[in-house]
Amino acid sequence: MDIMAPEKIKPPVNLSVLILFGLILLSLQLMSSAMQESSELSAMYSWLLLFNTLGSVVLLVLVGANIYALLQHTKRREAGSRLTARMMSLFVVLALAPAIIVFYFSMQFLHQGIDSWFNVEIDRAMEDALELSQASLDQRMRGQLRQTEQLIDKLEGFSENAATLEIEHLRELSGASEMTLFSRQGRIIASSSNNPADILPSLPEEHIWLQLRQNGFFMALAPVHDHELMVRVIVTVKSIESQYLQALYSVPVRIADLADSVEFASARYQEMSYLRSSLRMSFSLALSLVLLMSLLAAIWVAFISIRNITAPVKELVKGTKAVASGHYDQILPVMAQDDLGFLVESFNDMTNRIAQARDETRKVGVEVENQRAYLETILGNLTAGVISFDETFKIRTANQAAYRIFRVHVNQFVGKTLMELVETYVELVEPLKSIQHLLENADDIWQQRIAFLGPNGRQELLCRGTPLFSQEGFRVGSVVVFDDVTDLIQAQKNAAWGEVARRLAHEIKNPLTPIQLSAERLQLKLANKLDSSDGAILQRSIQTIVQQVEAMKEMVDDFSEYAKPSKKQSVNVNISHLIQEVLALYTLREGVRFKARYQSGLQIVNGDPVSIRQVIHNLIKNSLEAVGLEGLIEINVHRVLKNNTDYIEIALYDNGAGIKEDQIEKIFEPYVTTKVKGTGLGLAIVKKIIEDHGGAIWVDNGRKVGAGFIIQLPACNSELS
Amino acid sequence: MPLLRNRKRFCQLLLMVILGILSFLVSGALFSAEIKQGDIAKRSDEYFLSVNIDYHLSEKAKTALQNGVPLYWNLLVKVQKYPGFFWDKTWLKVAKRYQLQYHALLNMYRVKNEDNGEVHSFSSLSSALELMSVIIDLPLINKALLDPEHQYLCLIKLDFKRDDLPLPLRPFAYIDPQWYLSSEWTSWPLKK
Repeated sequence: MDIMAPEKIKPPVNLSVLILFGLILLSLQLMSSAMQESSELSAMYSWLLLFNTLGSVVLLVLVGANIYALLQHTKRREAGSRLTARMMSLFVVLALAPAIIVFYFSMQFLHQGIDSWFNVEIDRAMEDALELSQASLDQRMRGQLRQTEQLIDKLEGFSENAATLEIEHLRELSGASEMTLFSRQGRIIASSSNNPADILPSLPEEHIWLQLRQNGFFMALAPVHDHELMVRVIVTVKSIESQYLQALYSVPVRIADLADSVEFASARYQEMSYLRSSLRMSFSLALSLVLLMSLLAAIWVAFISIRNITAPVKELVKGTKAVASGHYDQILPVMAQDDLGFLVESFNDMTNRIAQARDETRKVGVEVENQRAYLETILGNLTAGVISFDETFKIRTANQAAYRIFRVHVNQFVGKTLMELVETYVELVEPLKSIQHLLENADDIWQQRIAFLGPNGRQELLCRGTPLFSQEGFRVGSVVVFDDVTDLIQAQKNAAWGEVARRLAHEIKNPLTPIQLSAERLQLKLANKLDSSDGAILQRSIQTIVQQVEAMKEMVDDFSEYAKPSKKQSVNVNISHLIQEVLALYTLREGVRFKARYQSGLQIVNGDPVSIRQVIHNLIKNSLEAVGLEGLIEINVHRVLKNNTDYIEIALYDNGAGIKEDQIEKIFEPYVTTKVKGTGLGLAIVKKIIEDHGGAIWVDNGRKVGAGFIIQLPACNSELS
Repeated sequence: MPLLRNRKRFCQLLLMVILGILSFLVSGALFSAEIKQGDIAKRSDEYFLSVNIDYHLSEKAKTALQNGVPLYWNLLVKVQKYPGFFWDKTWLKVAKRYQLQYHALLNMYRVKNEDNGEVHSFSSLSSALELMSVIIDLPLINKALLDPEHQYLCLIKLDFKRDDLPLPLRPFAYIDPQWYLSSEWTSWPLKK
């Protein structure tokens, strides 16, 4: 949307509306003028009234449509509708209140003004004036009737021809303007007029004849021309054949004018009095129409004006909604260079800046996300397990390696502490408790090795922890990095012992053969040259040297054996069969009983059968030496489930002398023995072989009689299935 | 239910409006003039019309007349083709224009023929109306103006001039059936 740049301030209403408004005012003015009867427009009054009524109806429809549309917009909560409604309500109240007050008082003044035109005194005066005029004219008519009746006597006895001559005289005598003698049938017998131009006399109309025949006379005042009055008197002439004498008397001009004036005023007043209510209604109608049209036109123009005024506000509301919903590209049109226009421009600047900031934030966010993904990839591919904690030691993140080491989906415990993890995974009690303890107590970087019997057998973890601090120095969490160093430690041990064994072989075993050969040579050379006693001493000494050299050779061989890797091959070994084979070699010993129990099913481990056989041999030999000539040796083989992992457990007990408590802890270390003879490498080799196979061996402390060893080796599940 | 009630109310309102219009038409017809006993005579290529008109003045009209309000009627005459179309030529003229007024001073009703200025005064309203009722030999049209191939109709209407009433009465005269004193158009064929 382009920003429109207006050049000048626009009026709130356009020219066409102003012209229409002018036309309405003109129409009202014309109707007002037409209400004056003297106006030339009065003939158009009805049309003007109709036009204005139609105009009012059109305006009413327009205003109604606008109100309906406004109500609909308000109902739909459209932008700017409530502001428009509020402004319109205010305008209508402000416009309506004074208009109604003015209208009310105008109506009051109008009605009072019209009523004041008429009062009882004038009414009576008008009636009296009219009655006076009527009485005066009536008296005049009666006088003229009498005068005409007096003329009848003079006509009696006259023939028709004589009457023709006499009537002229009679007319002049009476002062009538015209005199005519009619026969009974209405035929003109004689006639005389003061106007020689009148050829025909004025003939009575049918109803006059009717009245004449009924009453015998007729007397009436009749208008002749517009402002001229004539008294018509007809009387019956009683002769042999009845005749009628008609006399027309002119009413003097002055009297006629006065009568006309009185009649005009009276008629006019009567008409006005009659039209009083209509006049009142008519004026009220016109005034109401003027008010209605003015108000409706004002309301309609107010609608247009307010719509124009609120248009930028409406746009602003729309724009704000769009911005609120995240559309920052909203550019509003600047409709006017006023305060609202300035507001719209400011809004556009604001949205533009917000859009720029959003783009930059989005860019930074993408970069951060990339960095985060990159770090997550690195962390995910680390061999070391990494767990981060918040300030309350709840897990925040954990990588894949943590799962690999603990065999627990640590990710599923995000938001929980390590102690809650312990409740679910009992086998991890030892390392998790150690880590929790270190997390809670360490204020600096710490490192510790933690060994435990995990799902993969005996495991040794190298843990390093770092507390995390905010810039303000508050502790916000910590990170623990741990690595399974079991194989590494074992390899280091093996390498160290291998080196020791190599050196022993080189430094000790090699000189032993020349020592033995030299001693045997000394015996060979000196045996014949010494006396019997010296010879006996020499022989015993040489024998001792040879025996000790042999013992030393044996010891070096044992040590070499200990240093060599014990898991030379990896095959499935059935432990039960292996133990039965080994026991078969010792069952011939008298006085010693063997008691072996095997759990039903296959007890298969993956390992080197020779090494495992040596473990069994060593342990049985130790037990045989411990029990002496008589004793009991028990062997139990069964499957156990530990850390969600199947183990084959071999428990071997004897009822010999047992192991002293102070020796239990270091019984598996090299060169530690309770026997008089022995290198002290037997149990060390056993432990080494077991650990090389991922298993564990420990002394059963709960045993009160004799000694007991427990071996756990990971079961081969693939074979089971 | 409210919709049904509204519809019922609307039907009642519509019925009332229809009845109102009908009553207006009927009441209007009560006071309208009637044209009766018409006759068209042809003498020496000129058509002449003679009709008798019946006036039915309403009470309001009589009261207004009694209070000095003059009443005006126009006698309209129209000659047109039959059957005709709207584009066919029509001869329309105001044949006569009457003014009826009451004179309080003389207590008489005065009928004035506005065409020739003739004034007739009557002591009773019926006499005055009687004068206006009878039209004799009113010249209509010359035969030469008519197409001999076609039939023609003569239409007559007595038109009460509400626009000539005093100004305050006019708006009400248009909506009050008592002021509908005109007649309907009445037609007669013009014989060849």
